[in-house]
Amino acid sequence: MIVIDYDKCIGCRTCETICSLSHEGRINPAEARINIVKYEEMGTNMPMLCQKCEDPVCVTTCPMRAIIIDDSLGTQIDYSRCIGCKMCIMACPIGGASLHPTNKKIIMCDLCQGDPQCVKSCPEQALEYIDISKLSLKKRREGVKKLARFLEEVKI
Amino acid sequence: MNGYTNKFLIINLNNNSIQTIPTQGYIEQFIGGRGIAVKLIYELTPKNVNTLSPENVLVFMTGPLTGTLAPSSGRIDVVSKSPETKLLGGANAGGFFGPELKYAGYDGIIVVGKASSLVYIDIFNDEVEIKEAQHLSGKGVFDTVNALRKDDKDTQIACIGPAGEKLVNLSGIAFSMRNYAARGGLGAVMGSKNLKAIAVRGTRGLSIAMPDLLKDIAEKMRERIKNMPSYQEYPEWHYKLFSILESDSKSFFGNYEDTAWKERFEAYENAERFVKRAEFRSETCFGCPLRCWAYINVKDIGGAGIAACQGTLTSLVNFTKAKDFDKIWKAYLLCQDLGLDISGTSAVIAYAMDLYSKGIITNSNADDGNLPYGNGDALISAIKKIARREGLGAVLADGVKKASEKMGKDAEKRAVYAKGGLELWLMEIRPFKGAALSCAVTDSGSHNRATYGLCEFYYRSMRKQAETVAKNLVGTEEAAIPTKYEYKPKLVAMYENLHILADSLGVCSIPFMPVGLELWTNAYTVCTGMEATPMNLTTAAERIRTLERLFNIREGLSRKDDTIAERLFNEPLKDGAWKGEVLDKEKFVEMIDAYYSLRGWDREGKPTQETLKRLGLE
Repeated sequence: MIVIDYDKCIGCRTCETICSLSHEGRINPAEARINIVKYEEMGTNMPMLCQKCEDPVCVTTCPMRAIIIDDSLGTQIDYSRCIGCKMCIMACPIGGASLHPTNKKIIMCDLCQGDPQCVKSCPEQALEYIDISKLSLKKRREGVKKLARFLEEVKI
Repeated sequence: MNGYTNKFLIINLNNNSIQTIPTQGYIEQFIGGRGIAVKLIYELTPKNVNTLSPENVLVFMTGPLTGTLAPSSGRIDVVSKSPETKLLGGANAGGFFGPELKYAGYDGIIVVGKASSLVYIDIFNDEVEIKEAQHLSGKGVFDTVNALRKDDKDTQIACIGPAGEKLVNLSGIAFSMRNYAARGGLGAVMGSKNLKAIAVRGTRGLSIAMPDLLKDIAEKMRERIKNMPSYQEYPEWHYKLFSILESDSKSFFGNYEDTAWKERFEAYENAERFVKRAEFRSETCFGCPLRCWAYINVKDIGGAGIAACQGTLTSLVNFTKAKDFDKIWKAYLLCQDLGLDISGTSAVIAYAMDLYSKGIITNSNADDGNLPYGNGDALISAIKKIARREGLGAVLADGVKKASEKMGKDAEKRAVYAKGGLELWLMEIRPFKGAALSCAVTDSGSHNRATYGLCEFYYRSMRKQAETVAKNLVGTEEAAIPTKYEYKPKLVAMYENLHILADSLGVCSIPFMPVGLELWTNAYTVCTGMEATPMNLTTAAERIRTLERLFNIREGLSRKDDTIAERLFNEPLKDGAWKGEVLDKEKFVEMIDAYYSLRGWDREGKPTQETLKRLGLE
């Protein structure tokens, strides 16, 4: 899955432009599957996209069973079945699905079939495409580093 | 045409008319951004227009790369006739407004006329409305942005603060809470039209001629930017810029009287301590890896957190010699909120502090004339008075040149400014002959819109790189030596061309040079589908530059106006690395002659018939 490191994001929105360019052949953040949510007055830049839930409400909500779960790519839309009812948009707790502004199709991150362009182009490596089973181990290692720094400070 | 949205808005506030005009006819000759803006100003502005009258024209214009995947493509150019210099007033801003405007379907906005009461323009795709803004009257930038974003946080805002409403010459146009089209008093032009803000939201997007090629080129461009020698250090420039200016011996302090202020290191340390204890997050503009900005928030100081700019923060310290960084931060927030050009404002306050130290301004001739150097409270109070045009602030609000003319002969002698009276930009000028020339010949005063990153600036800290650039551009390493007059006219003309291209394509002049014109040209071609070469883009830059000149000539500019403040010719630097340096009048004049000739202008600075013909400007 795509793992977001919020502390690294500088809010440049390159992920949005490359996402729409890759999927739609044009540039439009409103057609992107990822958006950086900004709260300027708080200095917040938070990339948001479909998190490929393990028990996705979009899948259970879809009346047409148009969202399938691929073994390696997670939720994917089967456009031959999708009727654009928008129930998935309403059900998703984090805004993972959205409506294409002109062709009115449902769009959500498809992980670019295993080669996510946003991850590739992020200048700060704030996005990472990794096997989720490795995430906690990686985070534990980072945690140890932080702990080591803390212990160092305590010594002084 | 791909890359462009192919139309711009023309809004007349006299009668609330809203129309669109096709961009097509302007593209080939003037590219976009600054180029098209200048063309429109030239066409639409009546000769000798009063800058604060309804007839003056205010243009916001993006370029063909604005809002694309090309790095640093968040730029928008703003041009009008400047109330401060009475010449062309141009400023360029980053952030996120330009891309949003294009996604809404507009390459630019022209505003003419004057609304009968305070209004704002609300744009959502095809829906463009002029709305009443009385509730925002007198409001700061932060409150204005928050109010206009109440229903949609992704709305991008261009607005003025109280300083713009009060027609202060040092007022700029804020883009959301951070970026500014700061210089030349464009905020006052907007204020004179009773236009508080423009709010834009767009979901239409942009067509790109060759999407896959754009991805490859953008990748290469990002790589080049990340390979810039300063790239790694950028996030620390909020306190390191002081020492970077030092390492290039560009620093000056106060009103250009000293380059080795003894207490400066204490000031730098205070800045570092402040930034390190703050909540700090690197930020950047649309599509740019550079991180020139950082969100800075210190609880209990200044009442707000905000993304801060490295240069203007530094400017406040070096001009006013205030060491208490808590006060500097408050001053910074105030300027951003009140809608002031921080460069100009810190320059005019330093000027007043200089006059105070010499007894020219005293407590008796101005009730608020207590302005000792280094006094943070005096700085803060002066900022508030300038923005409200109160007391001495009413005099300073017009900028250094006009203020000096009102305060007598002794005061006039101390004034330092570039052509037309625009305050200089944050660096000592006397040793840097290229920058000095640039200040005199440029379209709108200070060199920050003409020769950003000129190779002579970093000669001391990165000699090899400076020499390589100089050799590539004008054929000799010697051109990089700051104190040399030779080769500078050519160097300046070439940098101006590149700067104009950055401003016209809709990208930032900071990464423009390191990325190189070749790649920008490719990016232009793959975005628009139009064949282009560095050569024909450069010709367009020459055309734009010459049209800027024609505008200024029409407004009464002549050769004698192409100069810089007298003090820089007759007061040598008394200390520091460039001790004894001063501008030599004779050599300065020779540089101007050579520059005119390179541009194809006659000895009076008027473009010749051949030049007009060559550039298609007859």
